[in-house]
Amino acid sequence: MPPSGTRTVATDREERRLGFRLTLPTQVLILFIAVFPLLMQLYISLTDWSPLEGTGWWRAYELWNGFANYTDLLGDSRLWGALWRTFVVMLVCVPAEFLLGLGLAVLFMDDFPGKRVFYSILLMPMMVVPAVAGYMFFMLFQSGGPVNGILSGLTGLDVTIAWLSDPTLALVAVMIADIWQWTPLMFLILLAGLVGVPEDQLKAATLLGASWGQRFVTIMLPRIRTVLIIALAIRVIESFKIFDTLYIMTGGGPGVATETISVYIYKVTTQDLIWGYVAAIALVILIALSVLTVLAMKRMAAAGGRA
Amino acid sequence: MTTIRLENLVKSFGSFTALKTMDLEIGNGEFVALLGPSGCGKSTTMNMIAGMEAPTSGRILFDGRDMAGVPMGKRGVGFVFQNYAIFTHMTVRQNLAYGPKARGWPKAKVDAAVAKIADFLQLTPMLDQKSAKLSVNILQRLAIGRSAIVEPAIFLLDEPLSNVDAAFRAVMRTELKHLQREFRQTMVYVTHDQLEAMTMADRIAVMDHGVLQQVGTPIEVYNDPVNLFVARFIGAPGMNLVEGTLAETDRGLAVDLGAFGLSPPLPAALAGAARTAGAKEVVYGFRPEEVTLRTEGPGLRAAVGFVERIGARTIVHFGAADRALKIVAEPSTAVSVGETLSIEPVAASVRLFDKASGRAIKGAA
Ligand SMILES: Nc1ncnc2c1ncn2[C@@H]1O[C@H](COP(=O)(O)OP(=O)(O)OP(=O)(O)O)[C@@H](O)[C@H]1O
Ligand SMILES: [Mg+2]
Repeated sequence: MPPSGTRTVATDREERRLGFRLTLPTQVLILFIAVFPLLMQLYISLTDWSPLEGTGWWRAYELWNGFANYTDLLGDSRLWGALWRTFVVMLVCVPAEFLLGLGLAVLFMDDFPGKRVFYSILLMPMMVVPAVAGYMFFMLFQSGGPVNGILSGLTGLDVTIAWLSDPTLALVAVMIADIWQWTPLMFLILLAGLVGVPEDQLKAATLLGASWGQRFVTIMLPRIRTVLIIALAIRVIESFKIFDTLYIMTGGGPGVATETISVYIYKVTTQDLIWGYVAAIALVILIALSVLTVLAMKRMAAAGGRA
Repeated sequence: MTTIRLENLVKSFGSFTALKTMDLEIGNGEFVALLGPSGCGKSTTMNMIAGMEAPTSGRILFDGRDMAGVPMGKRGVGFVFQNYAIFTHMTVRQNLAYGPKARGWPKAKVDAAVAKIADFLQLTPMLDQKSAKLSVNILQRLAIGRSAIVEPAIFLLDEPLSNVDAAFRAVMRTELKHLQREFRQTMVYVTHDQLEAMTMADRIAVMDHGVLQQVGTPIEVYNDPVNLFVARFIGAPGMNLVEGTLAETDRGLAVDLGAFGLSPPLPAALAGAARTAGAKEVVYGFRPEEVTLRTEGPGLRAAVGFVERIGARTIVHFGAADRALKIVAEPSTAVSVGETLSIEPVAASVRLFDKASGRAIKGAA
């Protein structure tokens, strides 16, 4: 078959060109919705521009300040405080959601009476709009609210804890709300992974004398590894952006006690209106999160190759 | 090295009864094959012995001890699944070592056991390969090795050879028998392939529609089927079964086989039994291998339909549809299609069945 080789190459190139032309509108769109704002953000972050200036953002170069925003950022203790609180929330909530979700998923692998009903109930928190959940928990944690009511009932004392006005307890309340809302997602993803574990392999392992713990470690975990990493990655990224529920419950207060990075950025944007600075913070966080995601993806690809 | 006893074992799934009743005693070190068509309840029986499913009623006893409530990991049974259930994310070595490690054997003992079983099943060259990429033939041996390594007293195999090719199946039949001789386990082997059952088993338990039909040595089941189902199911080709009516002739009791004419007179013992049984409508049976084929002479008269020559033997088909007969003859047999021949069953090989109940009519042998 003589010239078929060259023909294939030619057709390939043609096909690629056609593909490029067909996807051109989408590529332009992506350019506008992703790349353009990013460049704009980078541009503004290098200036002192604010909407109060009364000039268009494209004239921000008139207020050029080089890397001043970035150096300010390093010395901004409120920013670092917010970042620290965000990490605390992440380090408490994600493992808690993961362990609870995994525990529930393992329970749901077996049949028990009323399983479907429990299943629906369990998924409900996920369906609640976060703002509504925030309002719910705001009500629950009032000093005369149901949480104190239940505690009073249990202890027999008259509990009147001011949850949302105590700096430590407010953060606890916020984390409880987050765990309530996002454990179901963990549960759902992990259950999907666990039901995919071949039943006959579990039976074979049991017949070979493996205990439940041994089966979990040797058969189930290796098989849900990918799903597990995805679930963790989703929640790590999401918890970094925690905002709606929290903002409605505490508004970041008392003081800055529950001010996470999103709340801080929101306040600096809407109250202080120093947009150049906000742009710098947002860019740094974006880069940090991207690095985190890429690392997680790499890990995932490696796990996928092994499974 | 354990006896298994099944007492009135019943298994229902909702309103469907997969196993109607099962009574079976399996001796120490015995190799029993559960043989039957698809869906007859073989796997269901095995799963209950292994403890994967609880019986709806009835008892399972190992060495006289009731197994009710004993979890599957604690029964000391090895189980080879039909689809092998190999841990595909592990290497061959990890698969083999799984049972010993789960039992907490010391490392040296695990290694020794793995080396021994791998050698026995010729798995040594691929010990460190990922099992996901292995061929079916190797997976099959691995599945057996993984269960055999802990030397279970009872070894259950659910159609272990149904997915492998014919040539390898023949090899594995020998190896399995060899394995059993080596380890002396009590072995229950599920199959729907009678050749496997006949060649390997000490006894065969024939099942159909959730009912145990007959238990016996391969020869017993082959020679003395207790009913029409077993007669039809065992043997390849199966027994010739022709409906007819008992008829007294001047040479003794015979069977009127309609278009095939009158059968040769029945042997005295069988005739006696038939007279005692009192049935008129019967099914006349004889093995395709045990006949004399002649152009003229006594016997069933039928025209040759077609001839299958398959090397070591020749199968001659007579008649058509429900009145068809098959005869296994010498490869050199010269017959031509359309020719009418006389088929005389060897007297001792003739079997009679009651048409209404399907049960064998037995002469005192
Ligand atoms: N969990 C179950 N629920 C409902 N019906 C079942 C269940 N397991 C088996 N059955 C039914 O019980 C009958 C016997 O099944 P079983 O698996 O024992 O058959 P088998 O003899 O092993 O057949 P095969 O040769 O196809 O493996 C079948 O009709 C099957 O559909
Ligand atoms: Mg089966």
